[in-house]
Amino acid sequence: MDAMIQLIHVSKSYDRRAALSDVTLEIEKGEFVLLMGPSGAGKSTLLRLLIGAEQPDEGQIFVQGRNVTKLRQSEVPYLRRKVGSVFQDFRLLPKKSVFENVALPLIVQGSSTMDIRRKVTEALRAVGVDHKKDQLPNSLSAGERQRVCIARAIVNGPIVLLADEPTGNLDPERTAEIIELFKLINARGTTVVVATHDPQVMTQVNRRVITLMRGALVPEQRVGV
Amino acid sequence: MKQLFYLFREAWANMRTNRTTTVVAILSTAFTLACIGIFLLLYMNLRSAAGWLQEDIKIMVYLDEGTTREGVQELEDKLKADPMVAGALFISKEQALTEFRAQFPSDSHLLEGLGENPLPASFVVTLAQNFRSPDAVNRWAERVRTMAGVAKVDYNQDWIDALAGLIRYIELAAIGVGVILSAAAVTIIGNTIRLALFARREEIEILRFIGATRAFIRIPYFLEGAVLGACGSALSLGILKFGFELFRQQIRSVGRFSGIENMISFFPLSFCLALVVVGIGLGFAGSVVSLRQFWDERA
Repeated sequence: MDAMIQLIHVSKSYDRRAALSDVTLEIEKGEFVLLMGPSGAGKSTLLRLLIGAEQPDEGQIFVQGRNVTKLRQSEVPYLRRKVGSVFQDFRLLPKKSVFENVALPLIVQGSSTMDIRRKVTEALRAVGVDHKKDQLPNSLSAGERQRVCIARAIVNGPIVLLADEPTGNLDPERTAEIIELFKLINARGTTVVVATHDPQVMTQVNRRVITLMRGALVPEQRVGV
Repeated sequence: MKQLFYLFREAWANMRTNRTTTVVAILSTAFTLACIGIFLLLYMNLRSAAGWLQEDIKIMVYLDEGTTREGVQELEDKLKADPMVAGALFISKEQALTEFRAQFPSDSHLLEGLGENPLPASFVVTLAQNFRSPDAVNRWAERVRTMAGVAKVDYNQDWIDALAGLIRYIELAAIGVGVILSAAAVTIIGNTIRLALFARREEIEILRFIGATRAFIRIPYFLEGAVLGACGSALSLGILKFGFELFRQQIRSVGRFSGIENMISFFPLSFCLALVVVGIGLGFAGSVVSLRQFWDERA
């Protein structure tokens, strides 16, 4: 299988406190990986390194064969168009409707109006909030907002979907729905990496688990059926 | 197309969201540019006044007491053949006396006591258009002073020179004030953009995460700065025009300076457009400064 994500001896520290120490790992194309660990274990740092929001102090990072650590600042936006991001706090624009929020990645890359309409409708339908397209994010429930956030992350067909604590603000029922949604997206061929400290998520996902502890990798395990 | 529409809409949304800041920025820029405009108006009108005075300059060439009729004729021929001379009018001693009596009837008795007519004959010379600069007039006067039969060459260059000096000072003051106030306008607009950037920092962060380029994020703020500058400069022109007309009306009503109101003029249309372009440039510069600082802080 081809490697979609590769980290080779990656280290990163903030104010001499190690966030990641000598992390080497590989995630295959089309894989669904859970990135587990307690708060402060380095999960978010790892995700931020993957989208070029941070640079490692040491080591190399490859996404679809491209060395992220060697990217120029002007090339970073093009990487982010291939890697969708989902956040715990949703990060939706409060003054824009659901449709406009989801359309944003397409507008940014200069898609045509027709293309935008078609792809946004498809993405909203895929996550089950197409009937809320004209509403503002603040009028939606937390679960619906997270669905909108996922729709925005998948609207331009990314090769990788990164989710940082996507169920952190959701109740168990909504958590299960969101995890099912990630599984569906993964089934369509997108590599999915979900960072979480929630054991409930781990029990629902029958996939590979990468565990981080104080910035270091813990030997891998498989959980679930 | 959708992208362009989005960028314009965002710029407009920025201004609407921060309505008070936008209005304050436009007003501050307008008053700042109006201050520069006052200097420019003063400078422009004094310059054109100096130009008129320079064009109106008459040079008096007084003749020696004993110059013969032939000598006068010879001098007249020389003057009229001079390419720098546009016209030379001979005023005899008798004509000079008649004119003096006509101009100063109450003082004419002063000359009676002297017996003989003390006023010299003279030529009133007007120089050609291309030779009316202070330097050219000076050079010509020096040359004529050495001609046979010429006693004195006189012209009112001193106070025209003084006016030219004053204009130079105003020019320097306009440049100084212009630079300082332009920097103030850039700072005012820059701060407005900075506030807009701060208010929308989370939105900018989201745009960065979804793959927006630096240019895409910055363009609405560049547009906002340019619009603020354009509105500020257009308003400053309105303020100046209003003040100018009020001043003209005041002069007219006083009556003592009648005629001056027709001599002073407002900026021509091309200059007004240039001022708006300068306003746009200053607004743009304000945006550039703020965006650079914002980006550096968050890089």
